[in-house]
Amino acid sequence: MQKINGLILIFIILLNTSIVLAEDISEIDISHLWISEAPPTVSVLVAYVTLKNNSIKTASLISVSSPLFSSIEIHRSIVKDDVASMERYSSLTIPAKSTIKLLPGDYHLMLFNPKTPLEIGDRPTLTFTFSNGVKIPVKAHVKKRKYNEH
Amino acid sequence: MITKLSNSKFLIPAMVTLVILATGAGFYISLKQSQNQLVQNNETRGLFWPNPKQIKNFSAKDHNGNAFELSNISGKWSFIFFGYTNCPDICPITMSVMANVYQHLVSYYENIQIIFVTVDPERDTTEKLSSYISFFDQDFVGLSGAPAIENSLTRQIGIPYYYNKKKENNNYLVDHSASIFVIDPKTRLIAKLSPPHQPEKIIEQFKKIKRFIDAKD
Repeated sequence: MQKINGLILIFIILLNTSIVLAEDISEIDISHLWISEAPPTVSVLVAYVTLKNNSIKTASLISVSSPLFSSIEIHRSIVKDDVASMERYSSLTIPAKSTIKLLPGDYHLMLFNPKTPLEIGDRPTLTFTFSNGVKIPVKAHVKKRKYNEH
Repeated sequence: MITKLSNSKFLIPAMVTLVILATGAGFYISLKQSQNQLVQNNETRGLFWPNPKQIKNFSAKDHNGNAFELSNISGKWSFIFFGYTNCPDICPITMSVMANVYQHLVSYYENIQIIFVTVDPERDTTEKLSSYISFFDQDFVGLSGAPAIENSLTRQIGIPYYYNKKKENNNYLVDHSASIFVIDPKTRLIAKLSPPHQPEKIIEQFKKIKRFIDAKD
């Protein structure tokens, strides 16, 4: 009986450890990362993504990088008095236990000077770096934009 | 006419019309009035009426390098959007919407034309424009030409644009109008469609504008 209890104890410890580990890994979930298919001659592409902060601490996205682009910047489209403009952000704060969606017509990632044109089906990797030093590489989908995708 | 009357939006003006018709007086005038009311009621806010601006001759270059001038918009309903190809978010969103609008409208009307005018001709070469336009629809027209030149469409329509130029690189952004402008077959600037743009909204608005203008002319 004691042996069984011991085994159960070890099992519980192992289970807890794995949960803790899993939490560490998925402190931030990055999903729905997609790059809009664009004419091959354009020198700026756009990516959209969902960032979910599972932790109880505020997270801050400080950079996104990829060897495929000369630089990547966080921008937000603003339409005010019928005039469209973009604001650049040096970082993006994701409050504890919340989700931020970068969507068409709003926050987005500007991908400058693609080394090669991207086609539908390509899976380029973008690396997201957070202020706590965590770096998360994510494979993006290259998709056709739908006019009603907001 | 029957189908129009069955539409609930037309019910009140239609009933008014019928009552007047029944009294045997002023059918034509009341129909005109009901259409006028329709345009105002259905927030065609951007309609430039009763004094639409007459577009004067201009000279631009299309995405194939050919001259494009007033005669190219005469006799057509033109939808015009001003942007630049390095605009990755608002411009392609609007162009996708217009591709959808165009696909719908060409099945009903013969003289529809969608025009993209670059406010960034320095970077938007003919080749770039051509590739950009055909990505959305082979029938679209891309126009370049110095936006500040006298009589350019940009100046005639009064489009705001601003270059956020940086010294260090060529990745500058351009602020620009997000509206879509409608020029009628008599080359009058008829309406400004304001964002956010949705195909259904634009199609419905265009049909009302066209009906209104057709009744006026």
